[in-house]
Amino acid sequence: MKTFTSANPRTLAEAVSLLGKGNAAVMGGGSDLLGMVKEHLVSPDVLVNLRSIPALDKITERAGDLRIGGLATLSTIADHPTIRKNFAVLAQAASVVGTPQIRNAGTIGGNVSQRPWCWYFRNGFPCYKNGGKTCFSVTGENEFHAIFGGGPSYIVHPSDTAPALVALDARFIITGPKGERSLPAADFFALPKADPSKENVLAHDDVLTEIRLSSSRNWRSAYHKELDRESWTHAVVSVAAALEIENGICKNARIVLGGVAPIPWRVQKAEAVLAGQRITPELAAQAGEIAIQGAQPLAKNKYKIPLTKAVVKRTITALASS
Amino acid sequence: MSKISRRHFVEGAGAGIAAASVLPLKGQQKGAQQKATQQTEAGGIFAPLDTDPNVPRSIIQCTINGGHNRIQIEDRWTLVELLRDHLHLTGTKLGCDRGECGACTVLVDGKSMYSCSQLAVWMDGRTVTTIEGLKVNGKLDPLQESFIEHDGPQCGYCTSGQLMSAKAVLLKNPKPTRDEVRAGMTGNICRCGNYNHYVESVLAAAASAKPASGRKA
Amino acid sequence: MTPLKSVGHATSRVDALNRVTGTATYTADVTLPGMLYARVLRSPHPHARIKRIDLSKAQALPGVKTILTSENCDIQWSSGDTRTKRLLFNNPVRFAGDAVAAVAAVNRHVAEEATRLIEVEYETLPFVLDPEEALKPGAPEIQPGGNLSPNGRGQHEPDVYMRGNIAEGFAAADHVFEESYRTPHINNAQMEIRASTAQWEGDKLIVYSPTQGIANCRTDIAKDMKVAPEKVQVICHYMGGGFGNKNQCQDSDLMAAELAKRAKAPVRVEFTRKEDFISVHGRWPTNQYYKVGVKNDGTLTAIQMRSYSGMGPYRKGAGDISGLEVYQVPHVERTHSTAYTNMAVSANFRAPAYPQGVFAIESIMDDAAAALKMDPLEFRLKNFTRKYQDRQAYSSSGLEDCLRKGAEKFGWKQRWRPANSDAGPLKRGAGMGMGMFPSSLGRSAAILRVDSKGAFHLHVGVTDCGTGAKTTMGLIAAEALEVPLDKVNVVWGDTDTCPYSVGESGSRTTVFTGTAVIAAAADLKKQIAEKGLPKGADFLTASADTMPQQPRDLARYSFVVHFAEVEVDIETGHIRVTKYVAAHDSGRVVNPLTAESQVKGGATAGIGMALHEALLYDKRTGLPLTAGYYNARIMTHMDAPDIEVLWIESDDAYGPYGAKTLGEPTIIPSVAAVANAFFNATGKRVKDLPITRDKVLEVVS
Repeated sequence: MKTFTSANPRTLAEAVSLLGKGNAAVMGGGSDLLGMVKEHLVSPDVLVNLRSIPALDKITERAGDLRIGGLATLSTIADHPTIRKNFAVLAQAASVVGTPQIRNAGTIGGNVSQRPWCWYFRNGFPCYKNGGKTCFSVTGENEFHAIFGGGPSYIVHPSDTAPALVALDARFIITGPKGERSLPAADFFALPKADPSKENVLAHDDVLTEIRLSSSRNWRSAYHKELDRESWTHAVVSVAAALEIENGICKNARIVLGGVAPIPWRVQKAEAVLAGQRITPELAAQAGEIAIQGAQPLAKNKYKIPLTKAVVKRTITALASS
Repeated sequence: MSKISRRHFVEGAGAGIAAASVLPLKGQQKGAQQKATQQTEAGGIFAPLDTDPNVPRSIIQCTINGGHNRIQIEDRWTLVELLRDHLHLTGTKLGCDRGECGACTVLVDGKSMYSCSQLAVWMDGRTVTTIEGLKVNGKLDPLQESFIEHDGPQCGYCTSGQLMSAKAVLLKNPKPTRDEVRAGMTGNICRCGNYNHYVESVLAAAASAKPASGRKA
Repeated sequence: MTPLKSVGHATSRVDALNRVTGTATYTADVTLPGMLYARVLRSPHPHARIKRIDLSKAQALPGVKTILTSENCDIQWSSGDTRTKRLLFNNPVRFAGDAVAAVAAVNRHVAEEATRLIEVEYETLPFVLDPEEALKPGAPEIQPGGNLSPNGRGQHEPDVYMRGNIAEGFAAADHVFEESYRTPHINNAQMEIRASTAQWEGDKLIVYSPTQGIANCRTDIAKDMKVAPEKVQVICHYMGGGFGNKNQCQDSDLMAAELAKRAKAPVRVEFTRKEDFISVHGRWPTNQYYKVGVKNDGTLTAIQMRSYSGMGPYRKGAGDISGLEVYQVPHVERTHSTAYTNMAVSANFRAPAYPQGVFAIESIMDDAAAALKMDPLEFRLKNFTRKYQDRQAYSSSGLEDCLRKGAEKFGWKQRWRPANSDAGPLKRGAGMGMGMFPSSLGRSAAILRVDSKGAFHLHVGVTDCGTGAKTTMGLIAAEALEVPLDKVNVVWGDTDTCPYSVGESGSRTTVFTGTAVIAAAADLKKQIAEKGLPKGADFLTASADTMPQQPRDLARYSFVVHFAEVEVDIETGHIRVTKYVAAHDSGRVVNPLTAESQVKGGATAGIGMALHEALLYDKRTGLPLTAGYYNARIMTHMDAPDIEVLWIESDDAYGPYGAKTLGEPTIIPSVAAVANAFFNATGKRVKDLPITRDKVLEVVS
């Protein structure tokens, strides 16, 4: 492996300052970045190890609201009683990432900001993500690529927890050279239109330090993931759904798709179908139909359309009757 | 040169060493390097002979198979490299070096992790258990007995990883169902395809265990 | 069959303790004093001429000791291509992954960095990936003499086999079915990452190699390194799986030997997992076209087959497509072309020629049965082979019992219904596949010694790649010597202490080496009877080098039938295997415990081949996309169904105690069984493997 220095900052300010100096990269759980270093997709001189900063992995509860440190591991989140009870979609999403070993090491901050798993990118093709000027998937092998929001890059966002966090209206806290800022989860992710080399708004010296969840809504939520074998693949298609149901009527709905777009793909028109209604299997099927409207499949990923339709229908139906 | 022999790692007989902070040992920082050398001589730091003096290094303090150690490492070493190449704990295998197969699984603070996907430097302050640390007082772990009886290993290359994942499963849940075992070990590929036998082995070991015996970390 | 005392009893492996304690020593676990590490630079192009290699920057890197390239090393890797001349480092490079240089350095990081400092100027050449395309006029020429690899007679022509008269066969048919199938390149994906370590002691070369056959490996290394075989020692005590891609000697063995020679230090060559996937070899991709004639009552009249295998640019000696012979049919015509392409190299992978062929033949037979509204079981009972190639009796055949008793265990009558019987989105279906695999007899050797205390030492040149060969050989020796297994100490895995063994390929060790063990035991028993046990530190020694004759006018085969039930969700395209039964006739089963492991493993790999695996290429660049366990979607714990095993132990008069082959038959019909279950569930067929979600949703919509 390439030579690098492992830096162990004790404070966030120190970490941000290290990241600002030259060729540095930030490591949370490290599983993903380390793989990219080995493949020479990134070649940092300094790896900034966030694990040396105290308390960045803590999950704290305040009057039902949750603050999840960016370094909280996916297995901690999957097992956390309050998350399982009040934010089930997040616990479920965390529980189906990779394998137990990956969940024990991988962090929530790393999971939402991991790089795409497009095989062109990971195999070092000179694509947008590798600093090039093309996306090989457009006319290549695009079975797993985007049906929504693509162009000029057609990667799909690889994170399971990202759609869950968008569905839950989470807020992301970012610490950078100018201090701390916060933004809604949905605004964290960025379509390739602006900068096809990136998937989110993080600057190279930004650190995603915390994720906040509000208990102001009484979400009933679930995550459903379709994989390409029974475990350890990224989502072929996934659905993060949250419903606010009172007296049998859906007051509010969130439906966010994974595996279909370069960002977690919220389908507001499908949500609107459910709002104010008593959810029946027929209504859920209608939401599924609307969810796929506007899809622009590539040559080999048309199957994602019926698949998306089916999983939206099923997830909403199951959630409403749970 | 090393003050700590392989025996310490294998059998966990290492002497307790008082806490010491991590000392970054940059190749270009002469002062730090000298300091480390002095510590090697005075303070029982295990410094592998094959450390490259021209690359950034650190000293970590970690517990490996019950022995407490201070070890000088290169920053770029993965945990599996440290274990296999420098501590000669070759029971842990390297199968893909990308967190895709599970042959390198070890326990870190009681949880299963891919040692190929962890840098050794991150093990500072942590407890690592490898296949060599699975025996207790020279006695096979019930899982090992069960793996033999049910013919878990075929080629055996994935077996150390399977055992460490199985151990992690039972530490968390001493009486798992068949599907829980499958889910808990799904990060460990066996190309010989002996999944049925591995799962049987774990269920049998769990069934034979006395109540609460699996709960101790 | 008469029950025996040791053979036939479920027995834990003699080396099981080492395998569960991490003390089994695999090749990469061997570290020698002063050992260097080597890494390989590989071609980033599918076909290119190397114009210039500049090593100056790499050589200037501190710690770099020796670099091999096509410009300074012309060692031939003869077992890497048995038909044309394949060097360790070739120019032109003929596939993405072809070795360009190997660097030995003080550690693997320096070696890797050095490979990145080597500057290579390539002139890219046109490339071709598909075997049929490769044979068309105007296709880029990959090997001198053209892309049609020589057939069995050494001619650049297809292999042709004919029996009866194909026109007559189709004239006699009431129905004719035509269909085509494709199967992809898939990797053996054994768990052990490839490494070879070499050390010279004077003019003696010691190689630690993860090989499936130490004796053949030694012969190959000696030939290519141009040293006498007795000056080469090959050691392989534990081997982490190969499934055919560790047969013979590997290029890493030769690279390590040459680097060690030049650097005057031991060298360990290490491949990465990605290199193992793209630069070693996998199962060959095939294009297959069939035409089958059937009478109204389901009797087969004719099979015509035209097929193509893509071997990559080099050919290790394999390349056929097998499976037809499991059907009894009077008229057969078969034309098979083995082509060079610019894909990853193809060669042996567990029953090399079979699962691809059986997937296709069993698919079209199922289609025929469905068209005739026949139960596929009845169709097979009517048409399974009674005589090999319609002419030669079998030494034993449990095929009918595999069909009948396997079906009973599986619950075929309840589980099989006409195709697409379920109304809802979840559809269940049952499928079966049958196959056969040669179980010939042949040369191998064994040495047995007894000491003054009556302890026996069995020297066999096996490596035990997971098959349990050590234990099997121990059990056969124990049986033959009439002693318990714990009186037999098995010595293995080192050419300096073990005689020739056939190598763990072709599933031959039990039969070949087992025969030698029995002969050595008979000799030793005679010696003990005559002389009594030796005194003091002496031994009595018996050597056997056996070459049993093939039974005259008899074909010797193992038989296998697998049954699978799947559940297909036609809204999501998801497939789950819900029931699986494997019925095997491998003659007498020497160790039912490890034999069961073999069956479950073969079936599991077959399910993966049916549903997941493919080395996918980018068509424009000719570069592989799906190397590695993640992208190849190798079966995981959660994918593997419970597999039930049924032994049909036919009484065979040949082989050690009547044992026949087992390891490879286990994968032969599993792909077909799953594919046919999918057809039975949905009424649709996916004809190009693997049966992935995209194809499922396309055919069911």
